[in-house]
Amino acid sequence: MKFPGTILTTCCIIIIGTGWITIDNRYFRPTPVKFTVPKGWPKPVYDFSKNSLTAEGIALGRKLFYDGRLSRDGNFSCGSCHQQFGAFNTYDHNLSHGFNNSLTNRNAPGLFNLAWQREFMWDGGINHLDLQPMAPITAENEMAETIDNVISKLRTDAVYSKMFKAAFGDETINYMRMGKAMSQFLLQLVSSNSKYDKVMRGEATFILPEQLGYEIFQKKCAACHAEPFFTDFSYRNTGMTADPIGNDIGRMKITGNRNDSLKFRVPSLRNVAITFPYGHDGRFFSLSNVFEHYRKNMVADANTDSLVRKKLVLSNYEIGQLTAFLYALTDSAFLKDARFAAPGYDNKGKPPSDIHQ
Amino acid sequence: MKATIVFAFFLFIAASGICFTGKQGKKLPKRQLQLIFTHMIGKEHLVLGNTFTNIFGENIIVQKFKYYISNFSVTDNTGKITRLPPKYFLVDETDSLSKIISLVVPDIAISKISFLLGVDSIRNVSGIQTGALDPLKGMFWTWNSGYIMAKLEGSSTSSTIAGHYFAYHIGGFKHPMNTVRIIDLDVSQNNRCIEMNISADINQWFKSKSVCKISETPVCHSPGALAMKIADNYSTMFSVNSVH
Repeated sequence: MKFPGTILTTCCIIIIGTGWITIDNRYFRPTPVKFTVPKGWPKPVYDFSKNSLTAEGIALGRKLFYDGRLSRDGNFSCGSCHQQFGAFNTYDHNLSHGFNNSLTNRNAPGLFNLAWQREFMWDGGINHLDLQPMAPITAENEMAETIDNVISKLRTDAVYSKMFKAAFGDETINYMRMGKAMSQFLLQLVSSNSKYDKVMRGEATFILPEQLGYEIFQKKCAACHAEPFFTDFSYRNTGMTADPIGNDIGRMKITGNRNDSLKFRVPSLRNVAITFPYGHDGRFFSLSNVFEHYRKNMVADANTDSLVRKKLVLSNYEIGQLTAFLYALTDSAFLKDARFAAPGYDNKGKPPSDIHQ
Repeated sequence: MKATIVFAFFLFIAASGICFTGKQGKKLPKRQLQLIFTHMIGKEHLVLGNTFTNIFGENIIVQKFKYYISNFSVTDNTGKITRLPPKYFLVDETDSLSKIISLVVPDIAISKISFLLGVDSIRNVSGIQTGALDPLKGMFWTWNSGYIMAKLEGSSTSSTIAGHYFAYHIGGFKHPMNTVRIIDLDVSQNNRCIEMNISADINQWFKSKSVCKISETPVCHSPGALAMKIADNYSTMFSVNSVH
């Protein structure tokens, strides 16, 4: 009858031991958030094992994204040039406005499905999502601030101390944590609920012009604008001559390779109806400008992509059908998703209250 | 009853297993090795802000001089290479302490110590780092992700650009424009050494494997052929003064 006593003692020791080991982590329990890959999509390329998604991290990233203090004069948050109602582009702007009445060099692209993107910027110069915010924050014609200053501003705000602690376990504010938190928020921006997606999932059907447009799209556009992201993330020269003042050489700036002259990333066509103007410098103000470029105006050079070098044959009829299909790529749920709005503007899922009552 | 005995036995085994983990593996004896860097221009000690003359007789005033060193390894007398745990150091002329690097090496006779002048490609593609590799150190390109491996900045009347400045920000980690250089330093004269005095001669930036005059190329701040040329040049800047 000695054995039950031994077992009991051993069990007690193990329980106490386990308690001892876990005591350190007792007060740091962020809420894990699962990243859902839409049905039929490939695995994300972002390494979540190095930056586990948590509700607290996402909330911090969201606050940072909408905080003007990330810029020198406090006027420009990330969200001021990446507006949700424009799928996080700068709505209806060829170029965005920066510090001291400056303009950006390139068109602000929409932000979505970033978990599947390996390189960022039109020239692919940035090789990790966590590093991306540093470029606009420090660019003189964008937010014009130094990371050092941003961090000292955040350190004076008790709310941030609390939020960094909730997300990372202590109150240390550094750039690595900032970058990770912002990535956590940006990774949430998944756009996968357009009519096209519903049709693919069997929840809706295309009307005839959309269906015809889809068939034309698959024949004439999908080689570069590949489904389901509507880009193959490659860099291509599509016969857009360089502006003599800006003289933007595109991908060549990064690789130093002459063959990469005037190559820019193939932009995603998701939400394309609302991300006008188009092109790396926003030179096309409408979809019809783009179609005219491909069938008439483009100026091919030695580096122009073989798929478009001889221009695209597009009839007015085809352009009509294609436009109908491209309109089916608008994800209106994404544009209004309260989780992505500036903090304090989400009304916690309830409709906004009527201020006239 | 038998089951409980077996259960208790397994618990005992498991518990003793936990107790003994961490005590496995013999620890080899180690010793401290200090590397002390001195920055020179030819025969003169570098002082930031002072005027010197480089190997071409161009006058130069250096304002910034810093470089990354990483991935140390030691070679013993038989040629066996032992890699030290990966560590990254930013040696900066404005920070005297950064010019003294303490390493823990196996306590054996060492014939050669090797390191990378620069930051290996893995750290260039792994997002934001902290410590010596924090992007806030001013050694990181925001527009074309990657580390500046070495930086030399200042002014010279030979420079043809506004302000007579020169600025060499040498970086790039992708083949064929990888500016990381492997440095081997011979310590066979005292292979039980605990201290090495190493000098880095800025003159080598301008003339070693090839010629790079401030009057011809006052600026380099992107990966490419010029950066490769300068990296080849400065890869010869280190020499061992004394070993103790």
